[in-house]
Amino acid sequence: MRTIVLVVFLLALAPGLARAEIKVVATVPALAAVAREVGGRFVSVKTLTRANQDPHFVDARPSLALDLNRANLILVVGLNLEAGWLPTLLTGARNGDIQPGSRGYLDCAQFVDLLEVHDQPVDRSMGDIHPGGNPHYLNEPRAAAAVARGIAARFGELDPQHREQFQAQLAAFGKKLEAARTGWESRLAPFKGTPVVAYHRTWVYLSRWVGLEEVEFLEPKPGIPPNPAHIAHLLVSARQRKVRAILQEDYYPDATSRLVAEKIPVPLVKVPGGPDFQGGQSYVDYMARVVDILEKGLRAP
Amino acid sequence: MIAVLALVVAQAQPVTPSASTMNPDIALLVDVAAAAFSKDEPFQSGEHDPHGNGFTLQQAELSLGKSVDPYFRLDSFIVFGGDHVELEEAYATTLALPGNLQVRAGQFLTRIGRVNPTHPHGWDFVDQPLILGRLFGGEGNRGPGLEASWLAPLPWFAEIIASSNKVDPDGTVRSPLDLQNSVILKQFFPLSDAWSLLWGMSSAFGPDAQIYGGDLYLKFRPLGPSHTMVALQTEWYVRRRQVPDDTVEDGGGYASLVWRFARRWGLAGRYERVADIDRVGANVTFWPSEFSRLRLQGSTENADGERGWAGFLAFEVVIGAHGAHPF
Repeated sequence: MRTIVLVVFLLALAPGLARAEIKVVATVPALAAVAREVGGRFVSVKTLTRANQDPHFVDARPSLALDLNRANLILVVGLNLEAGWLPTLLTGARNGDIQPGSRGYLDCAQFVDLLEVHDQPVDRSMGDIHPGGNPHYLNEPRAAAAVARGIAARFGELDPQHREQFQAQLAAFGKKLEAARTGWESRLAPFKGTPVVAYHRTWVYLSRWVGLEEVEFLEPKPGIPPNPAHIAHLLVSARQRKVRAILQEDYYPDATSRLVAEKIPVPLVKVPGGPDFQGGQSYVDYMARVVDILEKGLRAP
Repeated sequence: MIAVLALVVAQAQPVTPSASTMNPDIALLVDVAAAAFSKDEPFQSGEHDPHGNGFTLQQAELSLGKSVDPYFRLDSFIVFGGDHVELEEAYATTLALPGNLQVRAGQFLTRIGRVNPTHPHGWDFVDQPLILGRLFGGEGNRGPGLEASWLAPLPWFAEIIASSNKVDPDGTVRSPLDLQNSVILKQFFPLSDAWSLLWGMSSAFGPDAQIYGGDLYLKFRPLGPSHTMVALQTEWYVRRRQVPDDTVEDGGGYASLVWRFARRWGLAGRYERVADIDRVGANVTFWPSEFSRLRLQGSTENADGERGWAGFLAFEVVIGAHGAHPF
């Protein structure tokens, strides 16, 4: 009897011993997808939000605090993108390993060559702006590659035994992404200098990479929803500047964008806000889909 | 020698951390309301409620908070009223205790129910529920004290909170039983991506009263390009008090329904019952941004057969750090 109890006890313990993986929680699916590529089977990855969720407005559901309670590493986009919901979750998580400033907290903005960093004093009369820089860098493959390097280094610190594997997986991901990027760049090359209208300032990194020219935004100021006066001005200016498309993420409402697109008239190009991480979509697949949609939308006469 | 000198120089000039990272997060929040009542002495029970006809400065709340060191964070809320300043809350929270434990120490609002732990900024109505004023007084259930909470290692979110507070500033304490000791259980169930259920049970044992309560929060917020949110919230309490030769029981509660039908617009309705008072209220809220709010509210109450009504127009603005909202 005693042996059986011991065996059952050991068996119950065994999965815990075998799973010495790093438990990673990412705030957005794009970070989760990159972490999964770099970490492979030595990490388990969860994301707190989904691709169709606006990362500015997330409910701090207590179940998310539970994920953080059990995590070894939290990956954040940073630049105050998650300021409206993450701090309360982190405090409630009771996990000293992943508090800001500790090794289990990785702010991925530090690896990126940031745009829209405000050197001049800013305030909220300018809208809901991010003074430290624009946080929407994950739809740009070079930024994602830089983030992947940072994540691999942190994985290596947390799990030195598998440092080489992380570097090898990073190299494989980098190679795959690099090859895909060259293909995407040649496909998107004809659109260099194309004037477009974007909903929110979520496209600045991608626009710089492709060479799109964002002449207007549907939001009169960041975070302020479109209003009639602004739309009237935008219609005139978009026609004058020969805008070719309106770009937005799936998670923004499209009633106004549809109307504006019809009036100009130009196509409304809607892309997913991130990879379908739960559905198994990889970062490269997600970017390939964004490039597909963009190419199709911008080519339309 | 030069290397040593360089090292000394380097040590003598440490990198100055930027001011913005060392300062606490500071915010100032102002609530002001215009009110009209049919009665000369209306039933408002909250210290921050509009109390009479005309304008009321509900509060100007200054909040300061930041991590203290790797082990604690400090949060404080200083409220300026029309003619007084008071420390609403000031407490430290542990960040890295083992065993899923967390301790709060200082002056704080206890986590009884849904509304009591929150400030007017987090409310769906201009005024606080009648039951809170009836049971806890105008400032809610709070006082200097110590709270320990534990996140149970279960597949769902279950938190047990035990707290001891000196809620009566003038009370004499001869034993721990002269303090208010409370035990609270909160459980959360993510029913789906869109549906959430939070369920709480509270009990508080004071020197001359025991309070038992239950609260429920059911929220529907679909993912995707919509700001639609529907939430049902309800809290009910029973209080037992020892009076000479007898025990008196009273209680009450409320149920409210909030419907945010657009990014900037929301509707809310509330039914309350406390002892012999019934009150029904409704409001419409407009948020120009996350940092400002305009709310028009009307309510009518029936107290022992006598009917009264109230109308409010409330305005709130906040500058500075805008802290994350709890669920």
